[in-house]
Amino acid sequence: MYKFLLSWRYLRTRFIALASVVSVMLGVATLIVVNSVMSGFVHEMHTRLHGILSDIEVAAPLFSTIAHPDQKIEQMKVLAGDDIEAVTKIVRVPALLQFEFNGQPMTTQIMLVGIDDQTFAKVSEFQPFLMHRKNRQQISFELHEDGYDEKLGFSGWHYRREKCKFFQHFSEVHQSAPVTPVQQQPTEQDFDISAIPKIESQSDAVSESGSQDNVMPGAQDPFVAERPDTVYEFNPSKDQYTGIILGMAIANRKVVDPQTNETRDLFLLRPGDDIQVTMPTSGSSPSFITENLTVVDFYSSKMHQYDNSFAFMPLSKLQEIRGMIDPLTQMGEVSAIQIKLREGADLNDVRDKIAAYFPPDRNNLVVQSWQDQQAPILAAVNLELTILNILLFLIIAVAGFGILATFFMIVVEKTKDIGILKSLGAPSHGVMSIFLSYGLALGCVGAGVGILMGILFVVYINDVAALVSYFSGRDIFDPEIYYFDKIPTILNGWTIAWVALGAIGIAVLAAVLPSLRAARLHPVEALRYE
Amino acid sequence: MNNSASVKRLVPLSKRNTGGNKTPLRVARPTLLETRDLQKSYYKKKLEIPVLRGVSMEIPENSFTAIVGKSGSGKSTLLHLLGTLDKPDQGEVWYQNQRIDNLPPSGREALRNNEFGLIFQFYHLLPELTMLENVLVPRMIGNGLISYWRNKRKFVAKAKELLETVGLAHRLKHKPNQLSGGEMQRAAIARALITEPKLLLADEPTGNLDSENGSDVLETLLHLNREHDLTIVMVTHDENIAKKADNVVKMVNGRIA
Repeated sequence: MYKFLLSWRYLRTRFIALASVVSVMLGVATLIVVNSVMSGFVHEMHTRLHGILSDIEVAAPLFSTIAHPDQKIEQMKVLAGDDIEAVTKIVRVPALLQFEFNGQPMTTQIMLVGIDDQTFAKVSEFQPFLMHRKNRQQISFELHEDGYDEKLGFSGWHYRREKCKFFQHFSEVHQSAPVTPVQQQPTEQDFDISAIPKIESQSDAVSESGSQDNVMPGAQDPFVAERPDTVYEFNPSKDQYTGIILGMAIANRKVVDPQTNETRDLFLLRPGDDIQVTMPTSGSSPSFITENLTVVDFYSSKMHQYDNSFAFMPLSKLQEIRGMIDPLTQMGEVSAIQIKLREGADLNDVRDKIAAYFPPDRNNLVVQSWQDQQAPILAAVNLELTILNILLFLIIAVAGFGILATFFMIVVEKTKDIGILKSLGAPSHGVMSIFLSYGLALGCVGAGVGILMGILFVVYINDVAALVSYFSGRDIFDPEIYYFDKIPTILNGWTIAWVALGAIGIAVLAAVLPSLRAARLHPVEALRYE
Repeated sequence: MNNSASVKRLVPLSKRNTGGNKTPLRVARPTLLETRDLQKSYYKKKLEIPVLRGVSMEIPENSFTAIVGKSGSGKSTLLHLLGTLDKPDQGEVWYQNQRIDNLPPSGREALRNNEFGLIFQFYHLLPELTMLENVLVPRMIGNGLISYWRNKRKFVAKAKELLETVGLAHRLKHKPNQLSGGEMQRAAIARALITEPKLLLADEPTGNLDSENGSDVLETLLHLNREHDLTIVMVTHDENIAKKADNVVKMVNGRIA
């Protein structure tokens, strides 16, 4: 009884000890904040990493192909049975993307993915990241009139027509001007002069794509090249090429306004613009082929790695361009087969089953789960989290030494009281438990307040970041770097419980030595202590 | 050293020292506490400093014994040995015909808690607790949490009664630093009595008090001795106070003179 009464009284009267608990408190709060932010981050990353990756992918090496994919899909369905929810085929090929921005040609590397607009969205999370609301429901490679995300500004058919009208007007005014970007757009007026020679130059310069002369999308209609005697008139204000969905970061730059210091979006391309893609053909002795495409939407998963490189076009069209369709059977080859598993299926189990069917010594196929594909980054994040936890726990351990020192001081200060208690018949373990329960109480206070602080901080973390940004004038959480609009957080009850338990444990452990010292004090010497 | 023939009867001693005008001898009293050739040394850097060189005495029940002597004569050490706060190097302490100096710690703690009451020169109250709580401390120590809560009402009533007896009924909620020395010492007496001990050991209870408060405390002790049959052993260096005791033990250089 006296133990609790006294440790309670010590807690209420010894504020210096509370000061030593501040470090425990801060440690606990930091641990909670860091764990919440990290798990929020990891969760967000998992979602995004998983986003475009199917649960399981059976892939041929880059530039190689899987023949008879439908047959293999049937086999897999037999193997994995009910676990398979959806399957899709894709073609993946590195390609060069060319377009003009303000009259200057630009070339960039992309990963061109041919997707099936019916099944692809069932396998991986794709549609929610598109910028047109109709495409979010059903992928379409047709350009929409308008209705794109407001962020993109003026886009769609409306934009395309206006652009044509402008260039038409521009070319009428500057018809005599030697080399202008305007002339890329064929018009009815100069059809005979500009379009015909350009078709010729296109047909013999297919493999030279990338040279400046060829960056003229309007003039490169393949159908015209195929049928040179037919006069096919491609009208950009009414017609579009095959649609392509670009990763947002390919077309988008974040620009910092030097005056206002604010970042704004600069779009090099918009839905409605035409671009050129150059890629290798499939099969033996590949050559390069260039194709005109019309940007119909953007894909923005907020994973820079993906947004920066992926571009999507219809699977059948890509197979056709690259010569992946067997002329006899009309069966297309693919680069990979992607599988979505039903909820609750064992990812690794199904992967192993399928992998067993495609042994590496007889196949060139690689069977991987999405976690396998992102294993390095997932492992890195986990390692980071572990190390952070260890470091932060060391902070609490250091706080433990603070408590140890403070407790030794308190035991010295209370030497006479210990003598009194012992002279009144208090046993050594009773005296010891005064200080142990004092340590426990301090740990509880520290952990409690720390948890409270940590949770408050986590709940209001975005406000805190905004406040710090406001006062420091620097953007603490730059969405440009993280591609998150907000700092993601997840509060995990178990984490909090473990952190609290650890902190209290350390406080009690730190109290053990001073308590032992108190317990060992000789009553007479303690009473005589001045 | 000097073990033989050092047993001296207290009663004749007191008779010798205090003269004939004292209360008549109470020969019939049985012995409550007895020491046999107590020896105790302290060590300072391996140097032996003998404090008690063989003390044998008997303390009868219901007696008021004063131990007097100069500082360093070993009187406080003797009191600590009587109260089982310390262990003798040699010799024995007997209480109610039971040897107590070699009891295990728990046994000695129980003795201190239940059978003995202790009063000190510097009161030794716990500064964090109120007067009432200070008086209750021995009860808190002697009882577990549950049995304390079960008997709390009884204990508190007893503590209040004791504080009232020593004239501190109006100081129940005060902390020690709000009280005068005399008040603190009276609270310490109340604390010593809460477990209704048979023996009260007082280490210079008046040493730190002015004469008025000192005689107040002394009167309280005498009253307890006379009216409540409490055996009291008091260490003092004040000969005037010692004169009021039944027996006086004079310590000189670690021995009874």
